[in-house]
Amino acid sequence: MNWMATCREATELASRAMDQRLPLSNRMALRLHLAICKNCARFSQQLQEMRRLFREEAAANDDANGLTPEARQRIASELQKKLGS
Amino acid sequence: MNTLDAHTWLTDHGDYLFRVARRQLHSDELAEDAVQETLLAALSAQARYAGDASPRTWLTGILKHKIVDLIRRNVREVEIPRDEDGEEAIDLLFVQDGHWAEPLRPWGNPHAEAELGQLRRVLDDCADRLKPVMAQVFSLREVAGMETEEICKELNITPTNCWVLLHRARLFMRQCLELNGFSKVGAV
Repeated sequence: MNWMATCREATELASRAMDQRLPLSNRMALRLHLAICKNCARFSQQLQEMRRLFREEAAANDDANGLTPEARQRIASELQKKLGS
Repeated sequence: MNTLDAHTWLTDHGDYLFRVARRQLHSDELAEDAVQETLLAALSAQARYAGDASPRTWLTGILKHKIVDLIRRNVREVEIPRDEDGEEAIDLLFVQDGHWAEPLRPWGNPHAEAELGQLRRVLDDCADRLKPVMAQVFSLREVAGMETEEICKELNITPTNCWVLLHRARLFMRQCLELNGFSKVGAV
């Protein structure tokens, strides 16, 4: 990687930074790029926004739908089958 | 523990297990399968349940493995570091010299603006458009919050491939959410 990351490379680094602590040289390259590139700064921010959104939505879903009566019935009869065997 | 418990598990924890599975598998059908397999496995393993965890915790532990099993079974080719479609689609987002082809638009406040049901539909639709393996890695990481190493290990892919998949999945998801009304219209 060149000393100056391209946008495409910067998105790779920004993505990876969501998963692990980057090595220092990558961290510097990313920070430098984000400081001067509005699009990538926005990309990086939206990755975090996206994570927050997915997790919030998943948590809120805990109050939402459960098993349908049909599925429940089907599972109950599978259990019964196994209990009987 | 007696044999009545299997039905009690379904009654008491069925909905909970379903929701946990649903949010990781993005499919009602697969989530139902996961619940069924979990309860059947629990039935076989109940002798090993020491009772030091609550039944829900114990069942959730089994569910986690069943979810990964289902993902593994549904993702035929897990080892796809060179997914040509994905590569091409990403090429479209950037120009030759590596700059963005289109400027990124700012997002409004999606959570405040969207009804929860509507938001869920957009998230599911976008996840559906990803290649299955990408959708699964993405959900395990972003929704379930599993560590990347754990995901790689469970799905038997190298960390490098995991990062490639996550990078592509994130680029697609971001793009898809933007196309589905997350961007502030007219904003620069």
